[in-house]
Amino acid sequence: MSGGPVRVLVGFGRALRARGIAVGAGDVETFCAAMVPLDPTDLDDLYWAGRTTLVTRRDDLAVYDEVFRAYFLGEDTAGPPRPRPRTAVAAGVLEVPAVDPPPSAADPGDETRLGLVASDAEALRHRSFAACTPDELRALRRIMAQMRLTPPRRRTRRTQRATRGRVPDLRRTVRDSLRLHGEPVPLRRKRRRVKPRPLVLILDVSGSMADYSRALLQFAHSARHSARRVEVFCFGTRLTRITVALQRRSPDEALARAAALVVDWEGGTRIGASIEEFVRGRGRRGGCRGAVVVICSDGLDRGDPDTLATAMERLTRQCHRVVWMNPHRGDDPGYRPLTTGMMVAQPHVDLLLSGHDLSSLAELAVLLPELG
Amino acid sequence: MDRPSGVADLVATLRGGGYLADRGLATAVFVALSLDRPLLLEGEPGVGKTEIAKVLAAVLGRRLIRLQCYEGIDTAQALYEWDHARQLLQVRALAEGGETSVKALFGPEFLLERPLLAAVRAGGRAVLLVDEIDRADDEFEAFLLELLSDFQITVPEVGTIAAASPPLVVLTSNRTRELHDALKRRCLYHWIDYPDVEREVEIVLLRQPGVDAALARTVVGAVHRLRELDLAKPPGVAETVDWARTLSFLGEPALTVDAADLTLGSVLKEREDLELARENLDEITSGA
Repeated sequence: MSGGPVRVLVGFGRALRARGIAVGAGDVETFCAAMVPLDPTDLDDLYWAGRTTLVTRRDDLAVYDEVFRAYFLGEDTAGPPRPRPRTAVAAGVLEVPAVDPPPSAADPGDETRLGLVASDAEALRHRSFAACTPDELRALRRIMAQMRLTPPRRRTRRTQRATRGRVPDLRRTVRDSLRLHGEPVPLRRKRRRVKPRPLVLILDVSGSMADYSRALLQFAHSARHSARRVEVFCFGTRLTRITVALQRRSPDEALARAAALVVDWEGGTRIGASIEEFVRGRGRRGGCRGAVVVICSDGLDRGDPDTLATAMERLTRQCHRVVWMNPHRGDDPGYRPLTTGMMVAQPHVDLLLSGHDLSSLAELAVLLPELG
Repeated sequence: MDRPSGVADLVATLRGGGYLADRGLATAVFVALSLDRPLLLEGEPGVGKTEIAKVLAAVLGRRLIRLQCYEGIDTAQALYEWDHARQLLQVRALAEGGETSVKALFGPEFLLERPLLAAVRAGGRAVLLVDEIDRADDEFEAFLLELLSDFQITVPEVGTIAAASPPLVVLTSNRTRELHDALKRRCLYHWIDYPDVEREVEIVLLRQPGVDAALARTVVGAVHRLRELDLAKPPGVAETVDWARTLSFLGEPALTVDAADLTLGSVLKEREDLELARENLDEITSGA
């Protein structure tokens, strides 16, 4: 194929790219090559060959269809613009305090400033996020970034060599022995490898959690960067996956991106429905198998308590451990769940923490490795 | 059959092998065969991702080599392993006979072939099915990517083994985790949807010729209504076939509420789903 048709196909690739589908030059080349044994004038061939060579995820299929119709059939797909209140509203709502650039060693004012932060840290440890000023939240954020979350570890099927242990590594022993023409060698040993469990954070960003959701989101961002396999979801009335958005190193950029994804900031709460959505989607496909799931919510559910109970029961069967952080629990050790949601969910929770201030988040970091 | 001449030809050939492929899947397979590219199939459980590889091997007259992935799979289970027991025996035998060389101990005859090595050796005469790749860990995925790019394996003691022509590679994934972009880039991608009513009826009749056509139609209708319910595990095509077969075996002429109630266990395998379906049985079987 050459000339005109190739130009048409390349143009199609460009149209897809313009709509946000990652189409590389190599993919377009494959598309052209695929059309050689097919009929370039047959729309079916064009459609399917393009779909199989240019699209790599199911979520992109709808956009592909749209672009295909517009590009090859000249259909006007503009129509009524899809409602996207997300960005406009969310950006206004989520006023994440900006972080100062990390002080460089050359700056003379550094020592004092560092000292300030350190003493702030002590004062801030037990201040509820709800009572923090934007400045204090900013300071908290720097401390959170230092926090390391270590999910519990589990044994894998893979083994590694060990200097001592009960399990002999026959394969290695024989292999070493063969190097010496079958001379016996000391018995080699092996042990099972260990690997950190995946961590899933599910954050409530509804109205009743407004005082805490910013801090928790910051926490999620630093968690996302401190452990390897972390998934983060937000919910108010519906569930949104923000793992990819939080991937950005810069917290401001990451949180802004996450905020743009979430449509239901500070609205109502449907915990049951949101957990159920998680269980049915990701959970059913095995997305939280062997994982530690941390839910941050006050348990103020406007939905049906039965939905929450069923969803929580399913969740406990799909994952390894469930941790619930309820900021409204505060420091009160004699806390009794007052909201229906909390009462319904509590029997299925392995560990209940508060998560209303920095020290309680630190508590999670300490307790997490012991949930194995 | 060596290579299909076109998409229509491939559809007909697959049908001969007992697989009803739609235009999209057939095009994807045809392109994979023409360009020698691996094909990554995703879709809900039970839509025939694994089956297509098996049928392809049968109708193309190729050997099916299957690699079932699981967490912790490593190269010893996927690629090759030395047969240490035989090597030891050889050492003994040679020691008694006299001259022996280490080189002779690491010859090809002591190499235990695992699926990937077998596929490289068989080359174009094989269909390599890498099943449920999403279950393997990302290290294995990276290793697989390397293998899929040039179809050669280096065994330090033996040398490099390369495929004369690459095998047809079919990878399946249930999307339990996101696959690496590099692997997806290397592959052609196709999402298999549930078939529409007409096609699913055809599939049932093709797989279970003993089933009455009218019964098949009502069963498929009921399954489609089940999929619209908010089920934890929506039934796949395999379940539809099972259900039709069960009803036919029990001698039920049609899908009544009672018959459906008794046999619901062949389509739904979760307690909550069964309860939900039983509440709506009238509606589900209403097409019958």
